[in-house]
Parts: sequence; structure tokens; C-alpha cells
Amino acid sequence: MIAYIVRRLILALLTTWAITVLSFIIIQLPPGDYVTSYIASMSASGVGVTEAEAQALRIQYGLDQPIYIQYLKWMGLIAQGNFGMAIEWGRPVLDVIGDRLTLTVVISVAAIVFTWALALPIGIYSAVKRYSIGDYIATFIGFIGLAIPGFMLALIVMYVGFKYFNANVGGLFSAEMADAPWSWAKFVDMLKHLPIVAIVLGIGGTAQMIRIMRSNLLDELRKPYVMTARARGLPETRVILKYPVRVALNPFISTLGYLFPYVVSGSIIVSMVLSLPTVGPLLLKALIAQDLFLAGTIVLMLGVMTVIGTFISDLLLMWVDPRIRLGKQ
Amino acid sequence: MSKRDKKITRREFLRLATVGAAGAVLAGCGQTATTTPAQEELTTAPTTVPATDATAELTVAPATSEAPKIGSELIGKLEGPEIIRDAAQFPTKFSEAPTLATLVAAGTLPPVEDRLPDPEDLMVIKPLHEIGQYGGTWRRAFTGPADHENGNRIVSMDKILHFDYTGATIMPSLAKDWSVSDDGKTITITLRKGVKWSDGEPLTADDFIFWFEDIYSDPTIVPTPFPEMQINGKPCVMKKVDDLTVAFEFPEPYAFFVYQLAGSTGIGAGFATRGAFQNWGGGYCPAHYLKQFLPKYSSEEEVNKKAKDEGFDDWVAYLKNRYSWALNPEVPTMTPWTTVSPLNTPTWSMTRNPYFWAVDTDGNQLPYIDEITMALAENTEVANLRAIAGEYDIQERHMGLANLPVFLENAEKGNYTIHLDPAFNGSDATLHLGNAYTGDPEIAKWIKNKDFRHALSMGIDRDQLNEALWLGVGTPGSTAPSPDTIYSPGPEWNTKWCTLDVEQANQILDGLGLDKKDGDGYRLRTDNGERLRLEMITAGGQFIPYTKVGEMIREQWKAIGIDVEIKEMERNLAFGMSANDEHQIILWANDGSEMLYLFARHAIPVDPGECHMGMAFAKWYASNGSQGTKPDDPEMLHVFDLYREAFGLDEAGQIENAKEIWKIVVEQQWSIGTVGQSPAFMGLRIVKNNMGNVPERQVNAQHARTPCTSLPVTFFFKS
Repeated sequence: MIAYIVRRLILALLTTWAITVLSFIIIQLPPGDYVTSYIASMSASGVGVTEAEAQALRIQYGLDQPIYIQYLKWMGLIAQGNFGMAIEWGRPVLDVIGDRLTLTVVISVAAIVFTWALALPIGIYSAVKRYSIGDYIATFIGFIGLAIPGFMLALIVMYVGFKYFNANVGGLFSAEMADAPWSWAKFVDMLKHLPIVAIVLGIGGTAQMIRIMRSNLLDELRKPYVMTARARGLPETRVILKYPVRVALNPFISTLGYLFPYVVSGSIIVSMVLSLPTVGPLLLKALIAQDLFLAGTIVLMLGVMTVIGTFISDLLLMWVDPRIRLGKQ
Repeated sequence: MSKRDKKITRREFLRLATVGAAGAVLAGCGQTATTTPAQEELTTAPTTVPATDATAELTVAPATSEAPKIGSELIGKLEGPEIIRDAAQFPTKFSEAPTLATLVAAGTLPPVEDRLPDPEDLMVIKPLHEIGQYGGTWRRAFTGPADHENGNRIVSMDKILHFDYTGATIMPSLAKDWSVSDDGKTITITLRKGVKWSDGEPLTADDFIFWFEDIYSDPTIVPTPFPEMQINGKPCVMKKVDDLTVAFEFPEPYAFFVYQLAGSTGIGAGFATRGAFQNWGGGYCPAHYLKQFLPKYSSEEEVNKKAKDEGFDDWVAYLKNRYSWALNPEVPTMTPWTTVSPLNTPTWSMTRNPYFWAVDTDGNQLPYIDEITMALAENTEVANLRAIAGEYDIQERHMGLANLPVFLENAEKGNYTIHLDPAFNGSDATLHLGNAYTGDPEIAKWIKNKDFRHALSMGIDRDQLNEALWLGVGTPGSTAPSPDTIYSPGPEWNTKWCTLDVEQANQILDGLGLDKKDGDGYRLRTDNGERLRLEMITAGGQFIPYTKVGEMIREQWKAIGIDVEIKEMERNLAFGMSANDEHQIILWANDGSEMLYLFARHAIPVDPGECHMGMAFAKWYASNGSQGTKPDDPEMLHVFDLYREAFGLDEAGQIENAKEIWKIVVEQQWSIGTVGQSPAFMGLRIVKNNMGNVPERQVNAQHARTPCTSLPVTFFFKS
């Protein structure tokens, strides 16, 4: 058991290192660098950058050096716990991400809670009462949820909100609250905006989870041990919740690996559309601007979260499912 | 025109707009006029001799089409506040915003008389309509840390010189006055006596000399000198004449330098703007504040330690941050508003500068508006939707012309008015040809052929483009600027070679030996008999729908048998290709080109900073022949000569050369214009109905730092 965990840990570290190299290479792949992107963005807003300025910028940001030197420089900074400067923001990368991280986690967790709170009971209900009216309704809504992309839903919600409810468009706060310091009023203001955001973000996942839960549980319910349990006279709730549901939960736990990075990045496209101040849009903008350290750090963070998430989900699976635990030993 | 007329037309427009796609509807209105009727005369003679009376004669040109074009209803009269230069008319009693009066009463701020410059050295502004009221917060949108221009352009009064509201006449700004020596080699500026930084310290000639000696001349900070600070490669020297007088001395005549001081250049765009650009410009900076970050005034170790403590690599990186008014709320500025919450946070907010040096004609210290807040919109569509919901008080940046019908539909609900501010440049979507392209010898041969370029240009139906993609508010034509601008060679050059003539285009192409066609009617290459297929690069996601323009031209060129492939790319990639001369045609703007000498890059290949019509040529020009490729087109070499010569000429000579350059540019069609003089770029302005002193139309031009020539310090909230 311990050896297994240690082995996994070493692998996780190696994976993380590989992620840093890969992310650095991928971010560098498109032609040009931060300065070319800066020139283009200035030109689009009606301003010129002279060649001399561009050259000076390259020297200042170290972009004139070969890629491996830039990588080593970044690694050196990370070793000191400093992830470098976000060029476009003119602030340390950690500050820029830190600003947005709390809100991102709040939004993502809200979306996940919404997803699970809805998907688990509905999935169980659908499986147990298969082909009932309730199952058909849940299935119908589930398919619609699956079929509508999140950004589309976001657009529709925004339009309806604007057209019929005079609601604020996008964002997590009212305009007057956005730059207010944290207070009870601001918290309440956020709670008002949060449900819509959580629903938009969570609806696709909910539909998917309902389908998975339903089909997994159906498989289990057919098995002889369920029949045995019933024959022994166990109460119906206990029969279902104690064993089949526990087994059917496996896929939920194994997706933890993906949930972790999601929690810190949020959905990129939906966040863009809804103008949510999360890490997702930050990553997109950093990639477009080729802001090497910022994009690299976010990608690295996502990678690390995936690695940690997978690790934890492996441990949880071992705990929940004796078949895996015993199989390993 | 009365308000009533306006309303009816808008409704009618909306009714029509609901029938189908706006483009189809507009095209169906039977409007084929080629000029925008409501354009004002901007023929105010340019002058470097300060005029005491800035009221330019503004006459509305008669409409050339029978009925006014849709959208032209929204183009109002060009108007703006007046800068009073006659000290006899200056106010003698001063008052201030209630918020500041409270501070004065509490003893934490000196009285207003002590904060303002000496009474005879004030900047006195006659607001457009009325004396305003103090107070309020101006709400706007910005799109993130790269969008600093959003705020820079509002506070740009800290430029040394600026233009009046017509964009044609140079006016004082931070400097009270200026003069050019008889030999044209020395330009002198005079500062306002008693003028102060936003922290109350005096601004003197020493702040200019500190900038020149300790910032600009230090190669660790500024590795390469600014191009506008040199004449023919020979640098400028700045000298202090007395506490309030600074001289810019050049080894050769450089009368045009006054325009550089007034324009949006490294030296001229002001301390705030150039600091936000992080390129050290502005010509002056707060010496008393910045000295602590320079090794010269302590030691390298000490300033480096300061930088490291704040998380910066070294003192230069930290100084750069401290230098930016948008990033550093502590740096003293000369701007009407100063930053409270910096640009790299979710809300960029500003508050009034208690030491601002301008007053209205009644002696009220400006600005009227207390605060500005810019809320972060992660994308421009959200900004547009919020504007429609009435969440912004005045917003021209990021508002898309394509959304005009939606803006109109919701104007009443959002309680705002829409103004369109057409620009002066000839063409918003310009087919910049790869004149230095070498990738495909056959294509390169044709691009270099003037007659071929003429045929391409004559194969474009610009009226169709205008009606469909500019909602009819643009002006079809060449790349030459509006006839109302000083450098325009005349209206005939706006249409020359740029009017649809399929028959002549086909004749030219047949005559060139491109007379063989394939089964689909496309002309064949002369080398291998395959179809002659051009490639046009467009950048997606811009203010101007380049890809749609390209696709429409593709359809139009079928009539002249030319096949073109439209390739939409991410903007960086498109720019990357054009920077390497790998493009055959790129669709991009020509904004700023109306002030040819201030911003030539979109008109002629002279600026390697950005060039789409032959980067190799621009490098050759800029390096005096040591880099790049020498153009083989004698006409281009002639343009280079005219351009280089102009900077030392007097006003008349500059204008004459500019006109000559434009004639050659249009004759040669190195870049093919489509539709311009439109409000597509920052020209759609949403103004809440409770805003006062906002002009019906403002100059929309790069050199005018729109909206700064409308002097936002005079805007106010009506109670």
C-alpha cells in the first residue's frame, strides 16, 4: 500500500515536470512572441509601436534569448517560489492569478455542488423507477442539457435576463458592487448572481451525470446480490443505497481528476461569455498575448491539479471499492 | 434637423431593419451616394502660429444625395469646447468641487487659488454648451490591462501641445505657448507659471531636463532613441532656457517637430499615456518622485533591492512600473484625473486631481466629474450588451458599428443617445498588397504590375460593401484621406482607380496576357496554365469585419475572372506573415494615415514598426539602405524622397509633399482602398441623456487622441 502511494507520488512529480516542459513548448509554438502580439493589439486600437520600442521590449522581457534559457530562467524563479511577472499585467503572476482564484473556486464549487446535488438523486430515481413518467421527464431534460452547449445557454440566459428582467449583464457582481471592498452586502450580491452562473456552468455536467448514474445503477440492480438482499428482507432504501449506489458511484470518483483543474480554472468559454472574473478568461488572454510566464503558470497549475486529482481519486477508489483495493494487493 | 425628424427616421429604420438582415435592407434603400452629406468642412488652415480665436468656421456641406443616408441622421455637427487664449478674458475668481472644498475647510488641502497656476497662466476653457455642475462618477468599460488607451485618451490633456476640437489647429495644453526659430532648428515651449503636479509639487523645466538626461539618454532605460526625436538620424538636445522655458534643439531644420509635440508620438503623447505604454515618453516626468528609483541618486544595490522586494527583476522593470500612471496610483501626474485602483485590477478607477491646472470661463476648477470607473468586460460583446442596457455614461471604445440597429432599438430603454463620429482616413478595410512578396514568382510579378493592381481595384463594388457592411455610413473610395483634411490631394483622388468598372478591368487584364480562362471563368496563370489564385489574409474578431469584406470582394472579383482565397487568421499570425512579407494581400486598416507624417505606416512602407505593403522596403527606408530590400519601383523611391524631405520643410512645403505622396499612392494602388471615412473604429458613441457638454460629433482620429479634443474635463452630469 505505502509502496504503491510512493510510486504514484514519484510518477506524479515526473508528470508535473513533463507538463512544465510541454506547456512551455506549446505556448511557444505559434510564430511571434509577446511583443508581436502587443504590436498587433496596439495597431488594432489605433496606436503605433516603433521597431525600436519593440526591440527594447524584447530585450527587457528576455524574449531575445533562446527558448531553453527562458525555460531555465522560469524554472529558477519557480524554485524560489516566484513564478515571474505577467508581462501584460505588470504584476507578479501569483498576484494576478490569486486575485481570481477565490472567485473561480467559489463559482466552480457552486457548479459542482449543483451538478451532484441534482444528478445523484435524479439518476438514482431514474434507474429505480425506470420507464416511469418521472424517468422520461428526467431523460428528456437530461438530453436537452447535453445537447445545448454551455456558451449557448449562457447567451440565452443573458439575453432573457437583459430583455425581460432588466438584470445586470454578465459578471458576478452588480456594477456598483464590483469594486466595493468585501462586505456582507457584497457577499449577498454575489449570492444573488451565483445561482444563474452555477446553473449555466453545471447543466451540461448534470445531464451527463444523470445518464451515467442511471445506466450504472441499472447494471447493478440486475445483479443477483441485489435480489439476495431483497430476499433477505432488507428495506428498499437500504438495498439500493448500501451496495448498488456505492458501486455506481465509481465513475463519479474517477472523474475527480478532471474536477480539480476545473475548480481552479472554471469553464473558459462560458466565463468569457458571461464575463466572469475567473482564471479561464485569464488563460485565454494570456495565450493570445503569448504572455509566457502567466500562461505557463496557469497551464502548470492545471496540470498539477490534474495530477493531484487523479492521485486522490485513485486513493478514494481504493477506499470505496474493495475490488480495486484487494486486486492491487 | 429637428429632434422629431430624427425620431421618425430612426423608427422607420428600425421597422425596416426588422424585415431582414440589416445589410440587405440598407442595400434596398436605393442609396448610391458616394459622399457622407453631413460632413463638415475641416479646411481650417493648419497653423503653428497660435491663433487667439479658435472658433473655426464650420459650415455644413450641402447634401449631395437627394435624401440623407440612413445613419447620417446620427452624424451631428462637429463641435467642441473652446480654449481661451486671451488673458483679458480670464476669470479672476475661482471655485472648486464640493469634495475638495471640504478638504480645504478641514485644512488638509491648500485653497484653490494656491493650487491653480498663476491667474494669467491658466488654461481657460469655454465649455461647449454651458458651465457644468460638479460631481458624479463616469462609468465606462475596459477590456483588461492591454486596454490602457481607454483611460489614456481621456486624460491626455497632459500632452505638451494638442489640437483643438477640429483636429486641425495646434493648441496649447500643458505648455502655454511655443515658437519655432527662424532657421527651423530650435523649437521652444513655455510652461505655465505655478503649475503643479497632482501631489502639489511644482512642475518646472527641470522635470523636462531630468526626463531628457536621466531617463531618455540612459541607454539602460531607453536603448534606442525615438524616431521623432531625430532629424535625418541626427538627435535632438533638450535645454533649459529658464525655469519655465525648454528648448528642443536640432542640427537641421525640423519645423514639423511642433506637430510631433502635438501628435500621438513618443515625445508628444504626454507623460501619462507614454508611461502606460511603458516606453518612457512624454518629454517630462516627476523628477522629485522618480529619483528614488534611479541608481544615480542612491546606488544600484539599493534600487535593485527595492525592486526585488516588490517582486520585480531589477530596477529598470520596477521603474517602468512606477512610471505608469495606470499601474501606479502613487506617481504624480499632470492629468485631470489620477488612478486610484490600477488598470491591472477588475475595476480601473480614477479620481479628480486637486491640482489640475484648467478652469472654465467662470473660474471653476476642472474637471467637473469627480470620478471615473472602468469596469472590466472580459469580451467586447459583453461591453456592448452592457452599453445597450445603459450601464455606461459615455462609451465610444469597443462599441461595434454592426450593433447599431440594436443600439437604436434600445436607446429609449437605456436612456442614451447614439452619435456617429466618422473618421478621416480613406479606407477602413484596405487591401494592402504584398509589394515585397516573393513566395510565388508568378503572383509576385502580377502584384508588382501597376495595371494589374488597377484592375483589381476597379473590380471592387465599394457601394455594395458600404451598404452591406458599413450600414451605409461610410464613404467608398481610395486610401487617400477625406477631402476635408489638410493633406488631401483633392476629392478626385478619392475615387481615382477606385470606382467599379468591370469592363475596363477586364480589358486591362486581357491586355496583360491574362486572357485565358478556365471553365469557371477564372483567368489562368501564364507560367503553368493553372488557375491564377490570389490569397487574402484577414484578421478575425476586429472592429471591422475584415473577413466579410474579403468574402464579398471574392464574389465581386468573379466578374473580372480573378479568384481569391480568403484566409482568416488570428491577428498575431496575420501580422506575423505581413511582417515577413509572406502575404499576397492582407486586409487591414489605414487609420491615422490622414496625418501622413505623424502616422505613415498605413499609407506608405516607411515604418518597420508595422508595415503591410512591403516590410523589406520599410526596413530599407528606415535603415537608410543598410537593411531590407531596395524597392525596384522608382515611384516608391520618389515617395521616400518626398517623405524624408518634408520633415525639414515649412508648413506649406509639408502640405505640398503630402499631397504629392497621396497622388502617387493612389496612382500606384500599392494599397487598395474600399470604404472609409466611417465611424466603424471608435466612432459609435453611446451617451447617456443626462450628460452635458458632449459634442454632437467629435473628431475621430488617432492624432486627436479621441475623445481628448472634446475635453472630457468639461463633461458633466445634469441634475
